[in-house]
Amino acid sequence: MTDSPPLDRPATPTPDGHTLEPWEVFRQEKEGDPMRHGGSVMAPDPELAVHYARELFGRRQESVRLWIVRRSDIHDLDDVDLLQPPLDRSFKKPGGYVMRDKLAAARERSGTKKPKARSR
Amino acid sequence: MTATAQDLLPATRNALSLLLLAMADDEFVIGFSDSEWTGIAPLLEEDVAMSSLAQDELGHAQALYRLLAELVDDGRNADAIAFDRPPEGYYHARLLDHPRGDWADTIARRFLYDTADSVRLEALAEGSWPPLADLVGKIRREERYHLLHVGAWFERLAAADGEPRRRLLDALGRLAPDAATVLAPLPDELGLVLAGIADATSDELEARWEARIRPTFERLDLPMPPPARDPGRSRTDHSDAFRWLHGEFTAVRRLDREATW
Repeated sequence: MTDSPPLDRPATPTPDGHTLEPWEVFRQEKEGDPMRHGGSVMAPDPELAVHYARELFGRRQESVRLWIVRRSDIHDLDDVDLLQPPLDRSFKKPGGYVMRDKLAAARERSGTKKPKARSR
Repeated sequence: MTATAQDLLPATRNALSLLLLAMADDEFVIGFSDSEWTGIAPLLEEDVAMSSLAQDELGHAQALYRLLAELVDDGRNADAIAFDRPPEGYYHARLLDHPRGDWADTIARRFLYDTADSVRLEALAEGSWPPLADLVGKIRREERYHLLHVGAWFERLAAADGEPRRRLLDALGRLAPDAATVLAPLPDELGLVLAGIADATSDELEARWEARIRPTFERLDLPMPPPARDPGRSRTDHSDAFRWLHGEFTAVRRLDREATW
């Protein structure tokens, strides 16, 4: 876990020893949609995190489902050496490698036919 | 005017209008009182939550006042009923006459009120007058969340040693003797039971409410609320705190009767 994103309130101890911490909220607008990140809330525990997520991301009937995740449970990866290496990586992208002709030649040699498109 | 309202006996109609007025005024007063937390709640998220709950209560009050306006059909609309009475004309329970107080007062009152209100709503949910049964069905779906929210806070204040628990006990000391006023008998309420509009009289509702909250109070080692003090005047003789609140929530109406959002 690396540093939190900027522009956020830090975890704050309350007088009774609990700590307010950030929870990330993901929301689904309608059945079948992907879950999308909506924002975050501060709360001392899962129960209140769920209540506050409901108030901030669901009270206007804008969501059919929420996922509420304690931020410290998220594995954060933003290492540039791993994600944005400096050398040319274009050979890892399918666009740089045309295999249609090679595949047709291989089928020719083995005598197999092109499979039909799978029905859904 | 709904067709079924004309079928009601005059005495039943009168009892029903008092029940609607009691419920609407309860929701209206607690809604306005709790909306005072907007901007100053203990944390930003709770500020949004409490303001949203208060808004919900005002929405319930509006729907109940509309139903009442249709039933009594005396030329007043929901706004006129809500805003154009003097403080003595309001019919909310004495529990809601207390000032907002601190956060523990607000949570204690919400817990006592919401649990009693949920028993009252339950008794009307299968009632024989469709406009009320339908509305109660919708209100109950929102009150489910209110109970979860206030329950979470009530448990946390009670379970936290030191200041939170001490303040909650102080608040209960002030409020609990008035808690059962929410379910105190209403005039001619037996007529509502005989007409099938409610499934029980106030005595039975109060017993159901006690049974409902007892496990929570015992688990948290809190004293059970006593019977209502002075139940005959549960909804009259309002406090100075309410007269102040009345001045606040009628301020715009008194400046401009036609004001809209």
